[in-house]
Amino acid sequence: MSVPGMTETTEAVARARAGDADAWGELYRDFAPAIFRFCRRALPTREDAEDATMEIFMKLRDKLSQYDETRSFSAWLYRVAANHCWDILRRRKIRQDKETEDVEDVPLEHPDPSQLDKLIEQKTSEEVRHALQKLGARARMALVLRYYSDMSYDEIADALGVRRAFVGVVLLRARHELRQALEGKSALAAGGTS
Amino acid sequence: MSEPANPVSPEGPGGTLDHLDEITCLLYAERQLDRARAQAVSAHAQDCAACRTLLKALERESRLLTRAMLEEDEPLPSRLAEFQERARKSHQWISGLIFGLAATGVYALYTNFVEPWQQRLEQAGFGGTSLLSLLVFQGAFWKGWQSVITLLEVLAMLTVAGFGLVIFRRRLRRGSALALVLAGLCAALVLPPPAGATEFRKAQTAEVKQEETIKGDIYLSGERVRVEGTVDGDVYVLGKDIDIDGHVTGDVIGGCQSMRIRGRVDGNLRSAGNTGIISGSVGKNVTWFGDSVTVDSAGKVAGTVSMFGGNLAIDGQVGRDILFFGHEVGVNGAVLGSIWERGDSLIIASTGQVGGRIQFKGEQQANVSPGAKLASPVEFTQRERRSEYSTGHYYVWRIIWTAAFILLGLVLFLLLPKFASESVAAGERVGAPIGLGVLVFFGVPIAAILACITVVGIPLGLLTLGLWFFAINCAELVVGTVVGNWIFGRTTDVWGQIGRMAAGFVIVRIVYTPIAPLHVIGALVGLGIWMWGIGAISLALYKRLQPKVTGSSMGVPVAATS
Repeated sequence: MSVPGMTETTEAVARARAGDADAWGELYRDFAPAIFRFCRRALPTREDAEDATMEIFMKLRDKLSQYDETRSFSAWLYRVAANHCWDILRRRKIRQDKETEDVEDVPLEHPDPSQLDKLIEQKTSEEVRHALQKLGARARMALVLRYYSDMSYDEIADALGVRRAFVGVVLLRARHELRQALEGKSALAAGGTS
Repeated sequence: MSEPANPVSPEGPGGTLDHLDEITCLLYAERQLDRARAQAVSAHAQDCAACRTLLKALERESRLLTRAMLEEDEPLPSRLAEFQERARKSHQWISGLIFGLAATGVYALYTNFVEPWQQRLEQAGFGGTSLLSLLVFQGAFWKGWQSVITLLEVLAMLTVAGFGLVIFRRRLRRGSALALVLAGLCAALVLPPPAGATEFRKAQTAEVKQEETIKGDIYLSGERVRVEGTVDGDVYVLGKDIDIDGHVTGDVIGGCQSMRIRGRVDGNLRSAGNTGIISGSVGKNVTWFGDSVTVDSAGKVAGTVSMFGGNLAIDGQVGRDILFFGHEVGVNGAVLGSIWERGDSLIIASTGQVGGRIQFKGEQQANVSPGAKLASPVEFTQRERRSEYSTGHYYVWRIIWTAAFILLGLVLFLLLPKFASESVAAGERVGAPIGLGVLVFFGVPIAAILACITVVGIPLGLLTLGLWFFAINCAELVVGTVVGNWIFGRTTDVWGQIGRMAAGFVIVRIVYTPIAPLHVIGALVGLGIWMWGIGAISLALYKRLQPKVTGSSMGVPVAATS
């Protein structure tokens, strides 16, 4: 898993593990912006994201000893961040509320390919970010893990506590929710069939 | 790629070519299909314009999502940018504060609590042992350690252990450390008593018959307990009516409604109960928690009598001192040592004699008959209810204790930051924690005492009582932090929380201090704070123990066909 915008700083990690405060500061400076952005995408409010970023770095101090240096630090850091954000959402029962919608076996209708293509073409990044905030916790988290953190399906399954086979379904449902949000209720997904 | 259903169905049931379903297209676009299926999808897309468009749209959607996510739309908030620097700076003065508070707290604990008790206990004939070893370590589970472990040693060990945990917690998984401590505590509690055969007898009337000789300790439990024979060891008794008519070479330790010692106990008598009558002899000391104790005219206690609660009548002889907290002491016989009483009244009859100092703090002068033989006059101190509130001494100690509590809070926040935050968050709801607090405050000690009725339940009961007592001490800290959060706003930074805890705790103390002397109102407000805090801690604990829900079931999209 490659993490955009982040530099691997193996040496700083090793020094931080040895208790070097400067190395710790280095790690924070390098990774805090990306982790904040991750939290900003995953959590409902800016304040939540700020709090979560600080908590993740405080947690990191305790967990750094568990980090396997043979693996990517940034990938591991995202795992910690994902678990933390998911815990927050789960505690707030947002997930539970939204999950009831998911659990309902409402079939997803097949989109009209040309309409979908048109919608995607029209929308800007900013509009997508705005629409993301309207999604349920799991849908948002799934999209963030996949398209921000570039996590594999296995990693997403692990982070969300779902079976690997359902990750595609979770992502598809999330996309449908996003399209509905982008369209402002008149769901494209419910639009037509080809 | 294995899907629960078969989402990839390029061919319809009748062998005709349908459109690809969306999940298949997504999995193809995301390179999650196996080679064979991917080839089937690719082949289909070449011939089907609609599916090709869908695949293109999904890929475009993926790119849009990635772009939207990765764009740096807002800078790192200044709060986060300064977080690391602030945390480092705060550590410097906090370290100094820790040492200052630690020194203050230990000094307060020692001078205000430990030292006076040690002096009193030494006066009362317990020299060489400490309060803790007296009350706890002479119990069934630690017998033999009392000369080794003193209260100060225990405090020192706890302090070192606490700071050790703080220092090494980065290297220890918090759960493991706590598990280790609890396991150690449980192991200590359940360790069998060292040496000696131990016998258990439980019956309606549990007894050691006259002709019997028990070698080793014995546990007796029943509505009526009689020891008429000889026990060459300790006797642990639990029952309604207890009669010791025989000879016990060790200690008698128990709980009862009434206990009569007509025989001979060579060791100590330590008991909690309603009535105790000593007509025989006790070779060492008597410690009694309960309503009344009488050493009748034929009775003799060679050591000290310590009593907490009710009335003490000495018609016989006490070889050393009397240490008394309760209602009334009446001396008709002889006390060869001193009397230290904090109670309502002291009566010394004409037949009474006291060989040492008599220190009495009460509401009225001691009633001493002119015929009484006293080595020195009674040193009387008038006890004025709540008078302490008007002295500067009270406020100085109040400040010292506040510092000590803040130190405790600081250690707890560092040791258990997550649980501390959860407790504070639970406390912010006010109503629920107070409701639960009432239940826990009264219910837990009752349950713990009930658990102690059985020998097996004693460790659990003691542990529960200990945790309950500790939670009560932490209650005001939780309330203080909630108040601090209300005033200064919430934060997730541990040091920020500690600052709010300290400030809030001081505010609670400042507000409560003038209310405390107001008799009923003071008590009610104090109780309210306890209930609130202990309820918040219980609520946080309850939430921790709730099983976490894991999501696994969800709908599977239906493949679209046309």
